[in-house]
Amino acid sequence: MNHDYLYESAEVAENREVLPGYRRITVRSAGIAAAARPGQFVMVRGWASQADPLLPRPFDIAAADPEAGTVTVIVKIAGRGTRLLAECGPCSVPGGAAGSGAGGRTESSSGDRTEIGSAGLAAGSLRIAGPLGKPIPEPYPNPLGLLVRGVGSAAVTFLAARAAAAGVRVIAVLSASTANRLIGKEELLASGAELHVATDDGSEGYHGNGTDLMDRLVAGERIDASGQAASSERIAAVYTCGSKRFARHVRSLEEAGVCAGFMFLEGYMACGRGDCHGCAVRKRDGSGYALVCRDGPVFPVSEVEIE
Amino acid sequence: MTDLSVTIGGVTLPNPVIPASGTWELPETAAHDGAIASAGFPPGAGIDPAELGAVINKTIFLDPRPGNPPPRIVETPSGMLNSIGIPSTGADRFIAEDLPRFRAAGPPVIVSIAEESVERFGTLARMVEEAGMADLIELDLSCPNVHTGAQWAGDPESLSRAVSAVVSAVRLPVIAKLSPMVRDIAEMARAAEKAGAAAVTLVNTFKGMAIDIEARRPVLGNVTGGLSGPAVRPMAVAAVWAAYEAVSIPIIGMGGVSSWKDAVEFILAGATAVGVGMYNFVNPLVMREVREGIAAYCERHGVPAVRDIVGTAHIRGSGSAH
Repeated sequence: MNHDYLYESAEVAENREVLPGYRRITVRSAGIAAAARPGQFVMVRGWASQADPLLPRPFDIAAADPEAGTVTVIVKIAGRGTRLLAECGPCSVPGGAAGSGAGGRTESSSGDRTEIGSAGLAAGSLRIAGPLGKPIPEPYPNPLGLLVRGVGSAAVTFLAARAAAAGVRVIAVLSASTANRLIGKEELLASGAELHVATDDGSEGYHGNGTDLMDRLVAGERIDASGQAASSERIAAVYTCGSKRFARHVRSLEEAGVCAGFMFLEGYMACGRGDCHGCAVRKRDGSGYALVCRDGPVFPVSEVEIE
Repeated sequence: MTDLSVTIGGVTLPNPVIPASGTWELPETAAHDGAIASAGFPPGAGIDPAELGAVINKTIFLDPRPGNPPPRIVETPSGMLNSIGIPSTGADRFIAEDLPRFRAAGPPVIVSIAEESVERFGTLARMVEEAGMADLIELDLSCPNVHTGAQWAGDPESLSRAVSAVVSAVRLPVIAKLSPMVRDIAEMARAAEKAGAAAVTLVNTFKGMAIDIEARRPVLGNVTGGLSGPAVRPMAVAAVWAAYEAVSIPIIGMGGVSSWKDAVEFILAGATAVGVGMYNFVNPLVMREVREGIAAYCERHGVPAVRDIVGTAHIRGSGSAH
């Protein structure tokens, strides 16, 4: 069990839509912001009900700002828990977010059990535990490749920012079906990464698979704005998130001896700390299971199955 | 100050709040190490083992087990289905590597064991006793996610055989963890008592399942799982109530405890100690809040010792054994 994390109520500083169905949520948590490292995640619970929905939800840390004392996650609205998180914001009416779970309940000696426990949960705040999971070891590979799609970009924007700040050359391939479904573009640009966009329909950047674009980059081609290739140093490792197809491709790159490969995994997890053993992922050496929360969430592509 | 101590099988627990097996692991690192502290913040979150009434391991078998294929958990209304399958490194490594840490944690040590035959149950219990670091042995007779698990606690005869085998193999007090998936929980508690159990733990999870209607497949890799969480609490309280009417050995009550109020409910129904299970996943500080809440409740009600209120919701003088 990981004991090196904080669990606290945190005020929501910002909760805004980045795309229909996706929210960028920033909370004030100085301790987690200071301790967080790329590769780590947080467990978040942003509703007053003690029982339903029951479990906190895991999110990769998309950004952590020790100076501002804030931690940012990107939430894809997929069910009741994430819908409630989408409503949990600094703009809610007093009592709105936190009081909704108890609203309309019959007052009785047992009825108030559905409210939050003794520590309370104020409106516009949520419960957060983190940082959880193993940080990506430093120093980071240089040059560092990123191959991400969809909300998977949230997992690597923090890595891009810290790696670039440490002087690492970061080469990012950001993929989406179409231009207005790109997530994390501004963050990756702001980090100082060399950003390459690939869209399935060609509405922005490279028209085609992100994997094809990454193949050209790992082969040492420097692709400038005019699409001309020039020779460059080879990417040492590629980190991927958001697509099993990408993960398999990165594994094939590693197996071909082109570069090392790592993938961010997710899993059904109840605790995020190694207690529940829910987020099992099969190890490729046949020795059983690794836990996404305890042994990951970032794994070498050679280590666990892509399922 | 309320006296929170309770006694199970002759072992005094400093307070009645214990983790349910498999829902809380002993921290591998001290809270004062690592990134949180080096960033200049107070020690990390989580329960200090010294706060607990007892510490207990995730159940071990003699041999290593990988656990069940994922997905292993799924959230349900006010509850959670799990089919973890009791992964463990096996008895030798547990005793060599983990048990010393449990012993060093401070509170009494309960070692949870399971096996598939009475002979292996006895062998494993003896190994645990000979290691000299356990205070109590809990028999997991009722995990719904392993092939033989629920069968031990499924009928009084097999339950008696398992309990008797271990009781005759060791001197340590033996706790029988019972399944709620039986016709008559009182009969099962009586069978455990008669077979020599020093206490009973109830309840384990309820068998359940969930189906992904789009994929038209069971959600869990193992098809069915055990339901726990606030959804099961009223059934668990009723089981403790029934067992309290039937036996005079102590009861460790559990099932959906998410607050001190839930714990007090179990105590009033007849539980001497209370297990907190899956809610540890939701709120890593819940066991502390439960302990503090029980103490405050006792003070508010003028109760000097928590053991004084065990089972006191039962109607007295009307044929009850207590």
